[in-house]
Amino acid sequence: MTWEMLVFLFLAASALISALWVISAKEIVHSVIGLVTCFIAIACLFIMLNAEFVAIVQLLVYVGAVTIVILFGIMLTKREIMESERK
Amino acid sequence: MNLYQFCYGIIHWLVDLVNNIWYWLGDFLPWYFGDLFTTIGDFVASEGHLSFMTILAECVVVIVVALINVLNFLWIFRKLSGRILDFYGPYYVGYGIGGWLQNLADGMKLFIKEIIVPTKADRLGFLLAPVIFVGSSLAILAVIPFSVDFGISTNESGEYVSAGALFALAAFSIAPFAILLAGWSSNNKYTLIGGMRSAAQMMSYEIPLILCAASVFLLAGSFNFVDIVDAQSGMWFFIPLFIGFVVFLICLMAEVEIRPFDLPEAEAELVEGWTTEYGGMRFGLFYMTTAVRSYAGGALATALFLGGWHGPSFLPDEIWFLIKAYIVFTVFMWLTWSVPRIRIDQMLVFGWRRLLPLAVLNLLIAAILKSGGWF
Repeated sequence: MTWEMLVFLFLAASALISALWVISAKEIVHSVIGLVTCFIAIACLFIMLNAEFVAIVQLLVYVGAVTIVILFGIMLTKREIMESERK
Repeated sequence: MNLYQFCYGIIHWLVDLVNNIWYWLGDFLPWYFGDLFTTIGDFVASEGHLSFMTILAECVVVIVVALINVLNFLWIFRKLSGRILDFYGPYYVGYGIGGWLQNLADGMKLFIKEIIVPTKADRLGFLLAPVIFVGSSLAILAVIPFSVDFGISTNESGEYVSAGALFALAAFSIAPFAILLAGWSSNNKYTLIGGMRSAAQMMSYEIPLILCAASVFLLAGSFNFVDIVDAQSGMWFFIPLFIGFVVFLICLMAEVEIRPFDLPEAEAELVEGWTTEYGGMRFGLFYMTTAVRSYAGGALATALFLGGWHGPSFLPDEIWFLIKAYIVFTVFMWLTWSVPRIRIDQMLVFGWRRLLPLAVLNLLIAAILKSGGWF
């Protein structure tokens, strides 16, 4: 078991678990947190593949822009501020 | 000797010291512990462990340097606000040194306050938002070198991260997510409005910011801080790209949310904006991180437009870099107390209809300069 293997397993596990969390979370903002975690873990995996530029663009485009657009989409559509409060 | 080699030397010395004591202790134990002892000792002395610890030590050095600068920045902020608004500013805490210790005192006060999570708040988001905000802001510092040798992104043979400047901009752009999360999870209409405003502002001002940085990348032909600064050894980029420099500074002010653009936390309208529900050291962390971001912004403007660490040789490179970053911050503070806060619609019009065309014009100028063969 080398260091790289350990780091790879950690990153792969966090990407998979957060991807599962995206589809299973009750609050929709929680699934955005999972999405960000997944994107960041994938960016780290790109760094492990010596693809620095792809990793940085992944951060810039996906974490920086796409999630904010999704959050805006959630917040500008008509709904309660926090859904769990309705019950 | 660069920072990596310096830290490696210190870590190597420490590991040798600890291992000597370790093996000396091992002599007193019965023989069947011997194997375990040597295994642990060999692991500690192995090259992988050494380089890991070296990187951790580099992180500590860079963060400590950054936080000392942040204390200076906050002090400058308070003193300069005082001078511009005609009062003294901090004076008694740290009597001989111009009240420099006032921020440490405020930090201590925030440390001993109770941390309160509102009952109706979304606990996960509420506790995670400061972590993301602080983490993404400190990550900017990882790639900003003060000189060729003093940077965390160098490896042992002096090679640099190939796209460091792009990484700094990418890390800058994570913050709106944390701010929206903080604003939403506090479950309070003021924090939500503040978070929405902040995210809208950061998103719309990020585009001119990155376009201006793109013109610098075009002229320098590289994403790498060292290459960009080397390309400015003849002429600093703010002379050919003056429009870009001005637009970059305005966008930086919007990104770090200082006065003319501080409408996410407009006190008169939104209590304290998206930090309303945060108390104690969490608020302290937000406050500190805003200063970290203005420090990183000053360092970015310095490295991209003001010639980085180039300067007359009677001072070391790192000092020149810091002097320029401090000058950028002082200009920010000067503007802060000179102009009134703008409205949200004015801010969006200003960003999309004025700054964005100017940034594109600046990119065009950079392209003409590059294709004309001047750079």
